[in-house]
Amino acid sequence: MLLTTMKHLRLDKRGISDVIVVMLSLVIVVIIVSNVILWSYQMNQFDWERMQENVEIVGIVSVANGTTFTFQNKGSVTVQLVSLWIDSSTIHQRYDMDLYINAGDTVNYTRDDISFVDNASIVKVTTERGNISVFTPSLQNP
Amino acid sequence: MDKRGISAVLSSLLLTVVAVAAMAIATSATYVITTNLRENMSERVIVEDVWFNNFTQNIDVYVRNVGEVEIYISAVYVNHTSESFNSPLSLEIGASQWLNISVNWVPSSLYYIDILTTRGTHVADYYEAP
Repeated sequence: MLLTTMKHLRLDKRGISDVIVVMLSLVIVVIIVSNVILWSYQMNQFDWERMQENVEIVGIVSVANGTTFTFQNKGSVTVQLVSLWIDSSTIHQRYDMDLYINAGDTVNYTRDDISFVDNASIVKVTTERGNISVFTPSLQNP
Repeated sequence: MDKRGISAVLSSLLLTVVAVAAMAIATSATYVITTNLRENMSERVIVEDVWFNNFTQNIDVYVRNVGEVEIYISAVYVNHTSESFNSPLSLEIGASQWLNISVNWVPSSLYYIDILTTRGTHVADYYEAP
């Protein structure tokens, strides 16, 4: 009985094209959906890491050969600082930087091209993921 | 010459061409749609600094692309009014640049600056002039 049924199925070719079309469509749909899920996951991961960032400027000291900035990473992920801003009433100056700080670390960073940070200035650092930390010297040193 | 069976060959050939063309169109459409979707999802732009410039009387905004796709700034609104800027302005991945908005600002006033990309991403916030 089983053998007869199998023989019938082998010889009967009707409906095969339908099966192929459905399988191809399924493959395309699976590829599209998996790609969308993958992209969504990647950007969610990016946003989650960005939310975990917490870097602070804890001190600014003028030294003989420039200015030393002290940064503390209070977050749970490694941060990369990419820009340093010194904003005053007359000019907003951006300095390129490339500094990695591990989670929980405190790092001193000396710039010899910044000789003086006015008390009226605002100092900011921006991370590679897009977070900004602001430091106001006048509020720290009244 | 034996011409029997030619119509069957032609019809099979035509069917194959139609099927291949249909699949090519479907694949292209899928690629275009998913690419747009991916680019929309991957756009991230931040405002690093806003400078109410005393010398030029412009509002200068420093923008940076922190997403995974190149962005194009299409419009800038200040207090919901479209203002001219240094267009065309495009930012590659990780790039940053000043965006100079031509608007005469008034000291101690509050400004709502809205930056719009061609894909529809908004970066908007309130900033107070010094």
